[in-house]
Amino acid sequence: MLKLFQSKLNEAMRLYLETCTRCGICTEACHVYASMGQIKYISAYRHEIVRRIYKKYFKGRGKLWPSVGESKELSERALEELYEAAYSCTGCRRCMVYCPFGIDTQMLMSIAKLLLIGAHAEPEILTLLADTSIEKGKSLELFKEGFLTGIKNLEAQVVEKWKIEAGEKAIPVDVEGADLLYVALAGAHSIVPAAAVFNAAGENWTLSFFEAVNFGAFVGDPTKTKLILDRILDEAKRLKVKEVCICECGTAYRLMKQLSGNQTFRVSSITEVHARYLREGRIKVDKSKFKEPVTYHDPCQLARNAGVIDEPRYILKHLTHDYREMSPDPRYNWCCGGGGGLVVLGEENLDFRMKSARVKAEQVKETGAKILATACENCHTQLGNLNSHYDMGVEVKFLSSMVADALVR
Amino acid sequence: METVYFIILIPMVYAAFAVFVLGVVIRLVKLFREPNNPTTLQIYPEKRPRWLWALNDTFLLPTVRRHKPVFWVFLMLFHICFLLLIIGHLELIGDFRFFQLIPHEVFLGKGFVGLILSVCVLYFLFRRFSSPVRELSIPEDYYLLILLFLTIFFGSQMDWARRWYDYGNLSVVEYREYVLSLLYLRPHVSSDLTSSGHSFMLVLHVFFGNLFFMFFPFSQLMHSFLSLPMNKLRRG
Repeated sequence: MLKLFQSKLNEAMRLYLETCTRCGICTEACHVYASMGQIKYISAYRHEIVRRIYKKYFKGRGKLWPSVGESKELSERALEELYEAAYSCTGCRRCMVYCPFGIDTQMLMSIAKLLLIGAHAEPEILTLLADTSIEKGKSLELFKEGFLTGIKNLEAQVVEKWKIEAGEKAIPVDVEGADLLYVALAGAHSIVPAAAVFNAAGENWTLSFFEAVNFGAFVGDPTKTKLILDRILDEAKRLKVKEVCICECGTAYRLMKQLSGNQTFRVSSITEVHARYLREGRIKVDKSKFKEPVTYHDPCQLARNAGVIDEPRYILKHLTHDYREMSPDPRYNWCCGGGGGLVVLGEENLDFRMKSARVKAEQVKETGAKILATACENCHTQLGNLNSHYDMGVEVKFLSSMVADALVR
Repeated sequence: METVYFIILIPMVYAAFAVFVLGVVIRLVKLFREPNNPTTLQIYPEKRPRWLWALNDTFLLPTVRRHKPVFWVFLMLFHICFLLLIIGHLELIGDFRFFQLIPHEVFLGKGFVGLILSVCVLYFLFRRFSSPVRELSIPEDYYLLILLFLTIFFGSQMDWARRWYDYGNLSVVEYREYVLSLLYLRPHVSSDLTSSGHSFMLVLHVFFGNLFFMFFPFSQLMHSFLSLPMNKLRRG
């Protein structure tokens, strides 16, 4: 277990573990604390749960004078605390905006998640899903046929949405030398609208065999995260594409953008690609398509943590006459409460997810918007749940679907 | 008593200085020899030049100003006064013309620097008694603030005695003689320094100061060195 802890220690992690002054500035940063008011949800409190174990096993004074830093053994009780801290944190990094030192809670929670894996106390479903993804990468041939049949069924929907020229393939797969590799999620909603827009823009694209979502990252297993990511990197290299475009999945985009290292291809999110098509005049959309007021929820991993902030707003300016901003500063947009794998746990933590995101629901209501657009699968699911729970009276839509729906020739 | 005074004023000062310097250097070297994080830890939207914004974050604490304005005022006052205090102590070593750009009597601030610092430290301490900072705090936080308060309070008493209630038996001349003797490795404590009615204040000031310096490298006080590199990580 301690080896697992050790494996997470690098310069940044040690800085985060050794500098907190527990000043309490981060108190109001966490949506869970803001919604539920329990001390255990304050970022600094979450940090201390990891930090106490760090002091016990990695710092001299944790051994010599344990009481001064309240260092703590890695016991069963400590594991329970780690679970509670890690799986109530969405990794949105809003607290990092508050902290005078910029301590990254998501990083510290990644230690907690790894220790839980070591103790086989992580949510099993996440590991199971991660293993399935890896298995698919290993034995692609087994999955290929089923996948291609599924795609064939979707093509009819694309044709209906966007009448393509005869001879063209509505959803090209495995095209060597394509310009763009689109990595989608398993589901028509992630493939059909995207395909319609790519085709409308005349893009030379191909669909990836693999889904973008990285369950390895959600469960906090660095080895599995890398294996899942590598499947897509290998495919991109094999097909010699110039660009890898990640669907509306915040974590997948951030991982690909920031963890893939130096590659010959560029990495974009579908939101960036759509904004580019609009800017270059490659697609045209009908601005009067959505008549009701629209607001946009910034997925934390896409905006605050990866910088895709202006593009969705640029797109929305083309889609509606009535766009309403949620927060004057996108860094302060509340997290929806579904990130970090929480939404994947489904019914198991639905009650917590709803209670912990009260502030998000209020933020949405205050805009008075009727359409709530977002560009992340997890956010979309969570916002949908919030919509029914808090009676928000909005329609939650994917931004990419809105673009596809508003396409004009 | 003489022996206790001697131990606190000479060997313990050297020991504290050694622990402080070696502790800080070893910790910084160990820390910065660790590998970098494989991914960026930046927060967006980014602002350039990044280093300038990191300096701004480190020294002007904009996030605190935005979210806890009262706390920010105390924090800024504390850190500015702490800097003036360091200058004041450096001036015990010699007359630096640079520091005398604004002519003043050693120490700087006519006694108010110490007063402001004491008030600020008390504020930091008392805010830890109320929720939610109480639940976040650990013993280290209290020990440090109490130690800091005692050091500052006894140090300031010596300054206040001279300035505010005309106590003339101990002056900067005696302090300077003592500090220089330590610096030139010919430690000497004059009888003026130990026989005055206020000598115990000097001894307590140095004693608590020594403890503070010895605790420094192993505590959250390292934020004074680590804040800038951490803010640079956030700025990318």
